[in-house]
Amino acid sequence: MAQTKRPKAYDYDLLVIGSGSGGNVAASMVAKKGKRVAIADQAHRLGGECPNWACVPTKAILHAAEYYQKVQEAPRYGIETGKIKLNYRKVKAWKDLVVSRTGTDNAEEFFKSEGIDVLHGHAHFIDPHTVSIKNKRYTARKFLIATGTTNFIPPVKGIEDTGYITYEQAIDLEEPPKSLAVIGGGAIGCEFVQAFSTFGTTVTQFEAAPRLLAREEPEIAELTKAIFLKRGVAVKTSTLVHSVETKNGKKILHYGDGNHKGQVTVDEILVAAGKKANTDLGLENAGVEYGKRGITTNEFMQTSAKHIFAAGDVVGPYNFTHTAAYQSRVAGHNLFANKSLWQKTDYHNIPRCVFVSPEVASVGLTEAELKEHGIKPKIGLSPINTIGRSNTENHSSGLVKVICNQKGTILGGAIVAPRAGEMIHELAVAIQYRAHAHDIANMIHAFPTWSEAVKIACSKVS
Amino acid sequence: MKKHIVKRHGHTEPYDQRKLYASVFASLTALRTPETEAELVADKVCKHVGTWLEKKHEVTSRDLLHQAARHLEAYNSDAAFLYRHHRSVS
Repeated sequence: MAQTKRPKAYDYDLLVIGSGSGGNVAASMVAKKGKRVAIADQAHRLGGECPNWACVPTKAILHAAEYYQKVQEAPRYGIETGKIKLNYRKVKAWKDLVVSRTGTDNAEEFFKSEGIDVLHGHAHFIDPHTVSIKNKRYTARKFLIATGTTNFIPPVKGIEDTGYITYEQAIDLEEPPKSLAVIGGGAIGCEFVQAFSTFGTTVTQFEAAPRLLAREEPEIAELTKAIFLKRGVAVKTSTLVHSVETKNGKKILHYGDGNHKGQVTVDEILVAAGKKANTDLGLENAGVEYGKRGITTNEFMQTSAKHIFAAGDVVGPYNFTHTAAYQSRVAGHNLFANKSLWQKTDYHNIPRCVFVSPEVASVGLTEAELKEHGIKPKIGLSPINTIGRSNTENHSSGLVKVICNQKGTILGGAIVAPRAGEMIHELAVAIQYRAHAHDIANMIHAFPTWSEAVKIACSKVS
Repeated sequence: MKKHIVKRHGHTEPYDQRKLYASVFASLTALRTPETEAELVADKVCKHVGTWLEKKHEVTSRDLLHQAARHLEAYNSDAAFLYRHHRSVS
């Protein structure tokens, strides 16, 4: 660590590095306490990934895709339309409107109105209390690091020369590609598969793990794969892309699954193979420990340097806006509170959503995680095609899985259904308040709603 | 954009790629790496460090050592060890 004296007077009480959910929640909380706060960001737009390049724009595009599909299915229900035409530039304009409505265009004014100084540029620790931003040094009594993640690009031979896009470019395409290879079977990869396959792109999806959405329940992953296959997506699990080359303006991917080798020719490659933490901040100069998965913190969001906290994707274990905001709230509280009043983070009840069609959502522990904890699980499973809403909406693909301990206390759940992202919160409340499956099974659920499937799954726990 | 290096005792000096090149080259030749190979590797390490420095205005000499050693490791782990330890006691 550089040997520097602690400054007598700091420029700021708190300097937050990163203006996304992991940073801005704590910045506002601390500024409201009358502290001098600055927020630094190197991105050309403030507000972080979620509103600018990730959750918000992708959901806007998926919303347009959903309507495109619904209009195509409308004649089935007696709604006759003329020729349906996709104007993708207008889809993009819709996405831009949605992004602008998040307010990130005015983020700087917002921060200033809250009494927070905005510093533009890459922040690099020179010593534990000093960062350098664009050749100017700023000192602070405390820091919060919320620098998020960047894309992990897998070591595929030729990929840098051939070229590829990530979600950041995929949201700004002027036209959907005619054919697309998606490398990655996680949430980001699956959502782009959903969107582009709906818009008519021929999609091939590669995942190195044996299933899509590898962290989720196997039933959920298998059903998602089956739904994608039915849509005409070529899903290749347990498959590695070895090399990529360009021929006649097309991109050729060479892949293998251990037994078979193959190749596919596409117009574009979208890499969605995971994220890596942004830790290139001179953390060694500040005494902040970190590893491949990101910055190490205790349950109070405090790093190995006692005056430096961290929150959001740069910490993990989840890369969600809602977990980043939660961690930021905990850090925002602890940064200037008496240690006896510090709050702890608790990740036992984190909802996780993938906005494919039908939606995929889960919460709490998976069946495998329960077994890892040495708990013998009791499971309740219900397909959604047995409930009234499935009939009225002519939709039969989906299921609800409820995971309990031997006493029937709900510890986890997973849903594939048209409104799974909303439905999952019934199970989240159940987990939060340690409800038993029979509590939910005995509760009246409105007919005909998708949530009836949760009630049925709970009634089947055994 | 001019880069500055914060030295161990707190003073700063402009980044000089030639100094970096010379120190990496020295750690390679100390292990009897052929001169042509040492030149090539030192050049590559300097390029990696240059890319890493792109968005930064000011870093510490410790950062520079860490980055150079990390990239040197990929080409010659013995030289990287020597570079890291010789530099840290100098």
